[in-house]
Amino acid sequence: MKNSFYTMGIDVGSNFIKLVLVDYSDHPTILDKQTEKIRKRNPTQVADEMIQTMLVKNQLKYEDIAYLASTGEGDLVKRKRGHFYGMTTHAKGANYFFPNAVTAVDMGALYVRAVKISKEARVEDYKMTGQCASGSGQFVENISRYLGLSIEEVGDVSLQADTPEISSGICAVLAETDVINMVSRGITTPNIIKGIHLSIANRIIKLLSSLKAESPIVITGGMSLNKGMIQAIEEQLAATGKKYLITTHPDAIYAGALGAALWGGFRHIKLKEKQAVLA
Amino acid sequence: MKSLDQIIAECEEIAFDLKFSRARKWKDEQDNRVIVGYLPTYVPREIIHAANGISVGIMGTGDRKQIIKGDAYYQSYICHLPRGVIEMALDNNLDAFDGFLFPAICDCIRNLSGMFKLSKKGKFQRYFDYPQNFSSSIGGKFYIQELEKVLEDIFNVNGVRVTAKALNHSIGLYNKNRHLIETIYTIRQSTPWRLSAVETYYILRAGQCMPVEDHNDILEQVVAHIQKERGEPMDNIRVVVSGSFCEQPPIGLIKSIELAGCYILDDDFMLGSRFIQGNITDDSEDPLHALSEAYLHQSTFSSAFYDVGNPKGKRLVELVRKRASDGIIFCAASFCDPALLDRPELQKEADAAGIPHINFQFHENTGQFKIIKEQAGTFSDSIKLWA
Repeated sequence: MKNSFYTMGIDVGSNFIKLVLVDYSDHPTILDKQTEKIRKRNPTQVADEMIQTMLVKNQLKYEDIAYLASTGEGDLVKRKRGHFYGMTTHAKGANYFFPNAVTAVDMGALYVRAVKISKEARVEDYKMTGQCASGSGQFVENISRYLGLSIEEVGDVSLQADTPEISSGICAVLAETDVINMVSRGITTPNIIKGIHLSIANRIIKLLSSLKAESPIVITGGMSLNKGMIQAIEEQLAATGKKYLITTHPDAIYAGALGAALWGGFRHIKLKEKQAVLA
Repeated sequence: MKSLDQIIAECEEIAFDLKFSRARKWKDEQDNRVIVGYLPTYVPREIIHAANGISVGIMGTGDRKQIIKGDAYYQSYICHLPRGVIEMALDNNLDAFDGFLFPAICDCIRNLSGMFKLSKKGKFQRYFDYPQNFSSSIGGKFYIQELEKVLEDIFNVNGVRVTAKALNHSIGLYNKNRHLIETIYTIRQSTPWRLSAVETYYILRAGQCMPVEDHNDILEQVVAHIQKERGEPMDNIRVVVSGSFCEQPPIGLIKSIELAGCYILDDDFMLGSRFIQGNITDDSEDPLHALSEAYLHQSTFSSAFYDVGNPKGKRLVELVRKRASDGIIFCAASFCDPALLDRPELQKEADAAGIPHINFQFHENTGQFKIIKEQAGTFSDSIKLWA
C-alpha cells in the first residue's frame, strides 16, 4: 500500500463509548484511543464531543478521516460513513491483537458473545448469552456499587478472596438476592465479588463448549479489564478440566472500536477501487 | 411549499390515524360522497374515485390497538392483520365507511369478508376476485364484470353512474400518482439517503387514506425536495425487501433494517399503490376495458396474485437487477401462507442468480427487533466485507 490514511472507529456501548483513531496502512497502528462513561448524558452528544476532542488533539479535521465507522449502538453516531455489527468488529479487533486467535469472547455490559473467527477475521459461528443480565458487566457493576466499590476496584478486590461464595448464574434477580443474603451472613466483599466472577465464568465456559470453541481465545470488551474476572475464568477452566488458552490485551476494551476502524479502512480501499472501475 | 420534515410528519399522522379523519372530513364536505375501504393488496381505485368515492386502505392496526375481540374471531395460527381489522370494525372505527372490498389474496381475507357481512358493517361488503386467465376475452371479460359489480354497489349507495369521461379523468389522476411514486423510487435508487425507507413508507401509506388529488400535490412537493441534497450518504448495502405486501411490518422493523446498514431500494409494503406498472390508457371509450388490460398486462408480481405464465422468482431477480441491489430481505408476516409458500421458490431463483438473501418473519405488533437487527447487520457486513 503506497499511502496510509486515517480511520476512526467508535463503539457505543450501553455504559461506555470507546473511540479509536487508526493510521491505516499495510500495518495499521493505533494513534489515539479514548473511553468515556455515558452516565446520564445524551450518548449522541458524548460521541460527538469525543470525536471532536480527538480530532483537535491530533490536529486533524473531520475531512481528514477517510472512514468513520460505528459499531454497537451506532445509530447514535452522527456523520459516520458506515456501521459494522458488533460481532464483526470484535472479531477484527481480536485478530489485530492476536493474529492467531480463533475465538473471541466479547464481554460487554449486557451480554457475553463467543465468536469463532477465521484467519482473516471472518465470523464463522457464534453463541451468546440470553436476555438475562446475570452474565454481564452491568450486573457486576450494579453489585459492586451495592457493596460500595467502584468498577475499577472490582478486579483487585476479587483477587483477595479466599473462600468465594458462588451466586446464582441464572437470574440477576436471584443473584442479587443471593448477594443480600451473603452480606447479612457476614461474607466478605472479596468472597462475594469472586463468587459472582466464578458464576459468570461458568456461563462463559458453557458458551465456549456449546460453540465447540478452540484456542487461543481472546477476551474483549469492557470486562476484559477486570483481572478478577480473567482469573476466575482460568480457575473454572482448571476445575472443569477444559484446556482452553485464554488471553487478553490491555487495549481489549477497544476491540470493537478498533475493529470498526480497521474494517472502515478496508471498505475505504474497496470503495475507491470500485469507483476507479466505474470511472 | 412545506418543508419535507413537515410533509413527512403530516403523512405519518394521516397514515396511522385509526379514525381515518382525513377521509371522513372529505366525505362530510358533500352529500353523495362515499368511503370505500379495501384490504391489502390491490384494488383499482380509479373506479371508486370516478364514482365520487374515496378509497381507503385498511392496512391493519399495527401496535396501536389492543386486540381483545379479534382474537375470538381467529385461531392462533392465523396472521395478525384480520384480528386488528375486525377489532377496528367492532370498535366502530370503520362506521363512516360505506362499503368494503376484500381482495382475493388468501383465505383469511375471504373469511374476513364473511365476518363483515355477518356483522353488517358497511352498506356493501364485496369479495373482489381477480382473473387467473390472462387472455382479454376470458380473464379480461371476467375482470370487467367484477369492476361493474363494484360500480353497482357504489351506485346503490350514492346513485352516481360513472361515465367514461369521469373514469378517464380518474385514471389520469392515478397515472400521475404512480408516476410520481416511481420517480421517488428512482431518485432513491441513486441517492437513498435523501429519503429514508420509513419516510417513503409514511408518504405512500398516507396516500391510501386521502384524496388522490391531495396526495399528488404531496408527492410533487416530495419529488421537488429530494431532487436536492439531503442527509449524508452512508456505506450501506442496497436491498430489496419482499413478502410484506399484506400485513404491514412495524415501523421499528423497517427502521431496524436501515439502522443495520441496509438501504431499502424497493419493497412491496404499499404494493397497491404501485401494482400497475406505467400508465393506463386514459382516453379510451371503454375505460373499464383499459383497466382490465392494465391488470392483465401491466401488473407487477406478488405472492398474493396468481400469474403462472410469468414466474415471480424471475421477476424478483429482474427487480433486484433493475435496482442494482446487493441482496434480498425476505420479510413476511408470520402465518402468511401466500408469502411463506412462495418463499422457497423465490429463494431458489435468487440462489440461481447468485443474489444473497436472508429471511425473517414478523407480526404487525412486534415490538422487539434485536434479532432482526442482528440478522440484517450480519447480512450487511457479510456483503460489504466478503462479497
